[in-house]
Amino acid sequence: MTALTATHSNRRSPIYRRHSQLQAQFEQLADAIIVNHYADPTMEALLAAHLGLVDLSTLPRSGFKGAGAPDWATSQGVNLPDAPNRAIRQSDHSLVARLSQQELLILADINANSTLINSLNQQQLPAQTYSLPRADSHSWLTLTGSTAAEMLAKICAVDLRPQQFAQGQVAQTSVAKINAVVIRQDMGSTLCFHILSDIAATEFLWDCLLDAMAEYQGVAIGVAALRSLAAPE
Amino acid sequence: MKLLTCPLNGPRNISEFTYGGEYHPMPDPRNTDSRQWAEYVFFHDNAAGIVTEWWCHTASSFWFLAQRNSITDEVIRTFEASELFQQRIDFTEPSAEQPS
Repeated sequence: MTALTATHSNRRSPIYRRHSQLQAQFEQLADAIIVNHYADPTMEALLAAHLGLVDLSTLPRSGFKGAGAPDWATSQGVNLPDAPNRAIRQSDHSLVARLSQQELLILADINANSTLINSLNQQQLPAQTYSLPRADSHSWLTLTGSTAAEMLAKICAVDLRPQQFAQGQVAQTSVAKINAVVIRQDMGSTLCFHILSDIAATEFLWDCLLDAMAEYQGVAIGVAALRSLAAPE
Repeated sequence: MKLLTCPLNGPRNISEFTYGGEYHPMPDPRNTDSRQWAEYVFFHDNAAGIVTEWWCHTASSFWFLAQRNSITDEVIRTFEASELFQQRIDFTEPSAEQPS
């Protein structure tokens, strides 16, 4: 079997060149490829618990907005957070974040097995409910590890320390001067933040994050390391 | 850093916000001449004192209103636009009105 390259799939990460430079090993996941690991997978699994950055930009994600969106989503079986800026794990392991009273964002699980996004996309939308596709507008980077909040304090004004920023909390703010949605969703017992931001600025944000992480010996890791954190689920 | 309190996201650095101009109640477009409409759309009072302004939290694209003292730059309160806008406004095609 030949190794997958960064350009193997039509659906690529906006930073696939960075992955190639780091000699990433890819795997096929859903309709795209994703970085499995860069260096030694065992070492990456250890680093993930300390400080790691994963690019999940090729995983499915979507959103819906409008006055009718909350009721419609609930009628479709979505477990919607009661208040804005909260996120809830769904039964199929996808994550639904409520960005305002009338707007929700849905992220697939890290194995792309969740069915919620597909099933919602196939529905006829009622009045005042609008589809808000996110897969091509937002990049999705995930920061893991015990020092993640301390590192983020260098580039983000919101206090993301675990005692202040609870599991499932969402902050729509500025990270390294880039507008971003930050969602805390721990993997196993490891602190973890999903960062969604403008896809056109992904290379900039990726470089900024790795630069800020260098002080803490943080590195880019693949999805395999993320899975190793989530394994106890 | 100056702080502004977004009704949706809470206190944030002022650099996360964009100013959106003064708020004025919209005149009824059916009973408004072109001059009044142009004043509503383009002109500002630039009053010294307490003014109501549109602000946008750019990270969440959330538009809201703020009452601010333009002399002291003190923000009195910020509130959601839904306090003033409860209903969708649909614009009907204007009748064959001649521009004045």
